Amino acid sequence: MTATSHRGSPAPNPTSGTPAQGQSGGASRQQAPGPGPYPWVMAGSIVVAVLGAALSLNGVLRGWAWFMPLITTVVVVALTLAVLRALRAQPLLATLGSFATLAGILSFTFCRQESLAGFIPTAGTFTAVGRLIKRAAETVVSESAPVAPNAGIVFVMCACLGLLVILIDALAVPLAMPAASGIGLLAVMVVPATIKPQSVGIAGFVGAAVGYLLILGCSHWFAPDARLQSGSGRGAGQFRRSLVTGGLALALTMVVPLAIPGFETGTFPQGSRLSPWGTSNGLNPMITLGNSLRSPTGSGRITYATSADGPVYLRSVTIDHFDGETWAPDDRAAERRVGADRIETGYSVQGEVVNTVTSINAGLFTSPYLPAPFAPASVNGLNGRWTWDPATLSIMSTETSTRAQRYVVFSAAPKVTAQSLSQATAAPEGIPEDFLRIPGNLPDIVRQTADSVTASAGSNYGKALALQKYLRSGEFTYSLQAPVQNGYDGNGLSVLADFLAVKSGYCVHFSSAMAVMARAEGIPSRIAVGYAPGRLTGESVALVGQGSFPEYEVDARDAHAWPELYFEGLGWVPFEPTPSRGVVPEYATESSASGNLSTNADEKEVLTTPATAAPAPVPLPGGDTPEAGSPSANPLPTIAAAAAGVLLLMGFLWSPRLSRAVLRRRRLNQKPPDDANATLPGSKDPAPELAWAELQDLATDYGLPSTPSETPRHFSARLRASAALGEAGGLDDAAHVAVAALTSDFERQRYGRGATGAQGAAPPAASRIAVVRESLRNNTRWLVRFRADWLPPSMMHRWVRALGAPFRAIGKLGKSVGWTLARWWRSLRGLLPQRR
Amino acid sequence: MESKRQVSVEPTPLQGEAYSALPRDGAALNGHRPQVMDAERFHDASERVLSSINKVIDGKADAAKLALTVLLAQGHLLLEDVPGVGKTLLAKTLARTVDCTVSRIQFTPDLLPSDVTGVSIYNQSSRQFEFRPGAVFANIVIGDEINRASAKTQSALLECMEEHQVTVDGHSYQLGLPFMVVATQNPIEMEGTYPLPEAQRDRFMARISMGYPDKDAEIEMLETHQAFSPLAKVTPVVTAADVAAMIATVQEVHVSTAIKEYTVAIGRATRDSARLRLGASPRSLLQLLRAAKATAALDGRDFVLPDDVVDVAESVLAHRIILDRKAASSGDTPQSILRGILAALPVAQEPPGAWRRDRHTA
Repeated sequence: MTATSHRGSPAPNPTSGTPAQGQSGGASRQQAPGPGPYPWVMAGSIVVAVLGAALSLNGVLRGWAWFMPLITTVVVVALTLAVLRALRAQPLLATLGSFATLAGILSFTFCRQESLAGFIPTAGTFTAVGRLIKRAAETVVSESAPVAPNAGIVFVMCACLGLLVILIDALAVPLAMPAASGIGLLAVMVVPATIKPQSVGIAGFVGAAVGYLLILGCSHWFAPDARLQSGSGRGAGQFRRSLVTGGLALALTMVVPLAIPGFETGTFPQGSRLSPWGTSNGLNPMITLGNSLRSPTGSGRITYATSADGPVYLRSVTIDHFDGETWAPDDRAAERRVGADRIETGYSVQGEVVNTVTSINAGLFTSPYLPAPFAPASVNGLNGRWTWDPATLSIMSTETSTRAQRYVVFSAAPKVTAQSLSQATAAPEGIPEDFLRIPGNLPDIVRQTADSVTASAGSNYGKALALQKYLRSGEFTYSLQAPVQNGYDGNGLSVLADFLAVKSGYCVHFSSAMAVMARAEGIPSRIAVGYAPGRLTGESVALVGQGSFPEYEVDARDAHAWPELYFEGLGWVPFEPTPSRGVVPEYATESSASGNLSTNADEKEVLTTPATAAPAPVPLPGGDTPEAGSPSANPLPTIAAAAAGVLLLMGFLWSPRLSRAVLRRRRLNQKPPDDANATLPGSKDPAPELAWAELQDLATDYGLPSTPSETPRHFSARLRASAALGEAGGLDDAAHVAVAALTSDFERQRYGRGATGAQGAAPPAASRIAVVRESLRNNTRWLVRFRADWLPPSMMHRWVRALGAPFRAIGKLGKSVGWTLARWWRSLRGLLPQRR
Repeated sequence: MESKRQVSVEPTPLQGEAYSALPRDGAALNGHRPQVMDAERFHDASERVLSSINKVIDGKADAAKLALTVLLAQGHLLLEDVPGVGKTLLAKTLARTVDCTVSRIQFTPDLLPSDVTGVSIYNQSSRQFEFRPGAVFANIVIGDEINRASAKTQSALLECMEEHQVTVDGHSYQLGLPFMVVATQNPIEMEGTYPLPEAQRDRFMARISMGYPDKDAEIEMLETHQAFSPLAKVTPVVTAADVAAMIATVQEVHVSTAIKEYTVAIGRATRDSARLRLGASPRSLLQLLRAAKATAALDGRDFVLPDDVVDVAESVLAHRIILDRKAASSGDTPQSILRGILAALPVAQEPPGAWRRDRHTA
């Protein structure tokens, strides 16, 4: 806006072509005052803007450790630019210098050993940079936000933001388009806006906005560039106007999304994502879970072997705060304890305890939360510093991740049977009140459903079973798509209400429904997030001192959430309300409740079938079911069609080259005029003219098009002077001679007296053209050669002209019709009696 | 002031005797049409003239070539520049390199038309009027500071330039061949002068602004011109007959239809230009083409190229076109507008390398 608001400044003379004016312009430029504080102020505001925008990246990267290298990079690059600009370096030189400094500071920060003198990049630096970029790429592919600030991702971020500084500076200072620098800042903010569940965050938003306004202001008030200074209208009135306009725009952006129904929910458009009001901070596995389930390929494969009787649930994290619109894990950072080798539950357990040993290989799965079977007692073999929460037993690290960790979990869970559960009737005491808290805005449907379902059950166990039975009943269908289509994908209380109404969803919905309804009935509950039992890999792994056990694997498609309910004396007991997923524990089946301990057939089926292909009571909508690709009975038509398609494509790609070659052949392989024709007066040999046209097209192909106002001699001189034809007298002298000969032939033919010159003795034009072409090919870069071969500009121009011909004709017609109408109207008005 | 009539006519064979040597009607001239020169001799002769001029005037090869071009194209040359850059020197040198009659007229406000054209005087011994030819009866006429003469005298000279003849007392006297007027005009200190009206500037084929010499040429000039006038060393290198033959050769240069179309297109473009009040006249196009022919011949060709037209267009047309007031106030010059027109005008009427051309020949 600033760039366009210089209406009051004296307009530059549009026709300043005379030397006298050029001189006066140069003189005034020399007399212009120095840059003054402008470079410094500008560099400062760019630093503020970029670092402010980078504030929002907290949450995409964990912690703040990445901010220090970022500050050094940004400040050093900006300082270089300021110094160079203050020394009045050429704009291009300043930019190049800042690039050099960026390379230097990055080498110094990340590859000090490999670099010369610590900051001069060498070949070793580039391999190190390649490693860092590879590391960053792996992080991007395999991890979900917030990622650990490893060297790779921090390097990429520093490099990008350093480049952003250079870009903003180039836009704002030499190009005088400071308003456009907002695009760069926006590019930074888009990352957290789309990745972080709580969006950009108020700090990043304010930081970027302040920096951007500073850039605009600096350009306006300090720039010596007259293009940016508005001479007039900078009074109080303007300030008030801009305040009102800006405030109004800001208010609209805040209010309008609230007024549009559905804008804040749903997956697209994720309008609420761009709102700056997100305050919570940290990872939300609930958000990513649905996406993981929907992913067609299973990434993040984890393998494990366990001494338990069957496959186990791997548990990463729990969610126990059901307040607010979005549920997120409660980290209780203050209560976490360091050291995963000895983990104690925060509650007492009576009765028999089942010990299991599980060896887990996390492979490429990357998360700050460690997947482990419930309830871990100690974890051996971990790298890095890990902490655990006594209340939830989730194990996490703020510095490292699960990537490439191989560890052994010793877990000890009380042996839970239907009998022990039905006896656990005491009121829960050993756990915090948090697990019973029901948010105040609980939708009525949740409480009503819970009450009606559990009306007949007496004990807590009975209520839990009733809830699970209700959710697993035929009323509910498992669907990954239905929540997306109906706009309640995600989690939260409102989502829960929608789910209970539509009765279709996936594990997130089932588990949260059961957990919330259990709390409504007075049973402490929480949601565990992790992995459902996976599939057998067919291999076996030896566990220390336990013998050999079959290996299982899980991946992103097995991501799962399930409720855990607390029973006094037994601790946290997992349930499985999601139909067709996971394993229903024996204690939680109806049959076991009634005393029959045999496993049901449904369970077996669930165990053996992959989760995504599990049969659902109702066929899954859309593409969830694999395409029943009926093998074609007759493959021949398919093959023929494919071949025809390939041929067509090849023909399409070849057509410019082919038609260019045909045109060249037709021009150069002219038959010499027969005698009868040659003797005719006025008839001219067309060969020189065709050869000339070919020469012009050839030059056009290699980037030296002729202009219509150019004389043949001028064009020829330009061609010979260009680097594309090599040096005269050198290797390419033949080409120069050929061009000169073609030119003089053409001139003689076109402007001369007629066919009086030497004919037949001269070498044919084809060989001359070939020589010129050879020289052009030798002296141009491969890109130019490639274009000349496959997309010859001379041919493309011709085609574009041909394509545009109908439109030009229409335009011409329209113009003439318009003129006719205008003339007709004017004559009509002449006939009318004059007014006045 | 000291001399009332400052007609200093350099010694010519015509001086002082009855003018009868030259044929009196144009038809006779055609009968004596000189032979066409072959290319080699033409080249030699032109090289001799140019090198001779360049020895005297340092660093002004372009001006010298243009002067020769105008001579061979049978046009007249207007040298317009500030005093002291060698306008008169160029004119004198050109005149001296050619072995022909030269006269020099220093124009003053009181110069009379008869001083230029000649006057009939009553000869008492023969008892009849005799025509005493004026300064214009020479092959090369140098008119110094033409804008100092009165409009009457100017138009007397300009008539001779156009008609190639002088009419006095009902008799027409044919002027010589070659005939060339080299007039100089001083653009500053114009008070009390009569600058040539546009219509009369049109009579001059080309106008040259000499411009200052560059540093090296100026230093050399200071060294060589200290002791003696460089003009003293100049001796004729071609005869008048040679020049006539060269002129005939130039006339034989072929002009193709394409060139004629191009020339006309230039003229029409100047007339259509919104920034010009007055475009190029048909006469100026004729002279442009004649100058282009001379350029082509000097380049050793017997046909005209568009390049020849472009080369001389600025010198030939710039002093004839008149800027719009708006264009003049915005800092445009006739030269810059001409350059713009030439840069926008297609040389060939059809687009280069058009498919059409290939099709009807294939």
